[in-house]
Amino acid sequence: MDGYILPLAQATSITLSLAFVSLIVGMIFAFIFTLLESAPFKPVAWLMSLFNLTIRALPELLIVVAIYTGLPLLLMSLDDGIAISLGFTSFTLQIDIANTKPDPFLCGVTALSLLYAVYASQTLRGAFKAISNGQKQAAQVLGLSKSRTFFRIIMPQMWRHALPGLSNQWLILLKDTALVSAIAIDDLMMQTKTIIARTNQPFLWYFIAMLIYLIISILSQKVITRIEKRSTYFEQPKSANSL
Amino acid sequence: MFDNFIYYLKVILQGLPDTLSLGILGIISAGLLAVVLSCLLSLNSCVITKIIRTYIIIFTGSPLLVQLFLIYYGPSQFGDVLNKVPTFYEIISSPWFCAYLALTLNSAAYTTQIFYGALKSVPQGQWQACEALGMNKRQTLKIVMPYAIKRALSTYSNEVVFVVKGTALASMIPVMDIMGYSNQLNGDYYDFSIFVVAGLVYLLINGLLSTIMRIIEKKALTFEN
Repeated sequence: MDGYILPLAQATSITLSLAFVSLIVGMIFAFIFTLLESAPFKPVAWLMSLFNLTIRALPELLIVVAIYTGLPLLLMSLDDGIAISLGFTSFTLQIDIANTKPDPFLCGVTALSLLYAVYASQTLRGAFKAISNGQKQAAQVLGLSKSRTFFRIIMPQMWRHALPGLSNQWLILLKDTALVSAIAIDDLMMQTKTIIARTNQPFLWYFIAMLIYLIISILSQKVITRIEKRSTYFEQPKSANSL
Repeated sequence: MFDNFIYYLKVILQGLPDTLSLGILGIISAGLLAVVLSCLLSLNSCVITKIIRTYIIIFTGSPLLVQLFLIYYGPSQFGDVLNKVPTFYEIISSPWFCAYLALTLNSAAYTTQIFYGALKSVPQGQWQACEALGMNKRQTLKIVMPYAIKRALSTYSNEVVFVVKGTALASMIPVMDIMGYSNQLNGDYYDFSIFVVAGLVYLLINGLLSTIMRIIEKKALTFEN
């Protein structure tokens, strides 16, 4: 059993880094999705909500596997060149890609961050709506520019509203990382399978894997609770003595 | 191109019975289990509450995939003991049953949270009214539970979609559901449109389910609107 601790720890770090990178990329995408969904040009907003609905109705495993299959195909077709015909003329779009086989880690991050972004954008949209219009108007009256209003006044409040939803999503993301073992990333799940193939003790090792996942989620839950407490510190009712 | 589409659809639809049976039976049994568990939680017994809380933490804190593998590959370790009851062993080692069990236990953990949350948000007055009428805890729960479930329906419909999405994981232990067939096709043809077809089938199922849930929700809450 001693010989397996190191590989398991390495695999855990891969799982964690996968989750963190997906969180950061997903957060950026979530902001973009939110902006697109509340775009003033309606067709864009409709398309974006349709996209959101579609992704949310599809199984996560399907998305992970589809991206793993689809990305190389896309790169390959770009490498070969796509003929675009406009009726009167046609030209070929060709991008030279030396290595048409994308990294599984990249595919995993793409899939997971997409999933995170789709769910998180819903939370962000709700948080954005929860802030009253009067605040935006007040900021404008004070002469703040639109971007300043957003970054200095709206966004800090949005965080507080969105934090519980986002942290829930983070826990789901953490658990979804197990899915990427289906596409040959050597994460915790994959490593567990490898060890089981050697030791032939599935119950023990899957149980250990479950414990590791549990520890990670319980720890992150603790951290999240602390952050939430801090961010809503001044909103909490003061005790009678302090008045 | 279109012929391929039809061919893929024909193959993939063979997985529909497995996906649907897993999804529907999973939803029903998880819902029933959750009702029982949230009733038990509301009894405020220290030991029962602790056991159920641990169960919820374990099943909501770890990936469904790990639970599925644990249930599917785990019992084989105790094959010597279990072989003494062959029919039982046969049932619990069949992939379909393992997927069903994992889905039920996983979904029941989430659903208990939803139902118990709703049960707690029932106005205190209702509990007191039942108490004033001289009802005991069990009778009170009979009155309050339907009310709580109606309130929880909108959150619960999310969970229903999650169960159907979760059935796709069953393809990792060899259950030939929609995802299983599309994986097999992908191995043979390596074509992206296979996943488009599978995605469309899932979209249809989930779209139908959410519509049904919305109708149920509307019917259940008519008296309040």
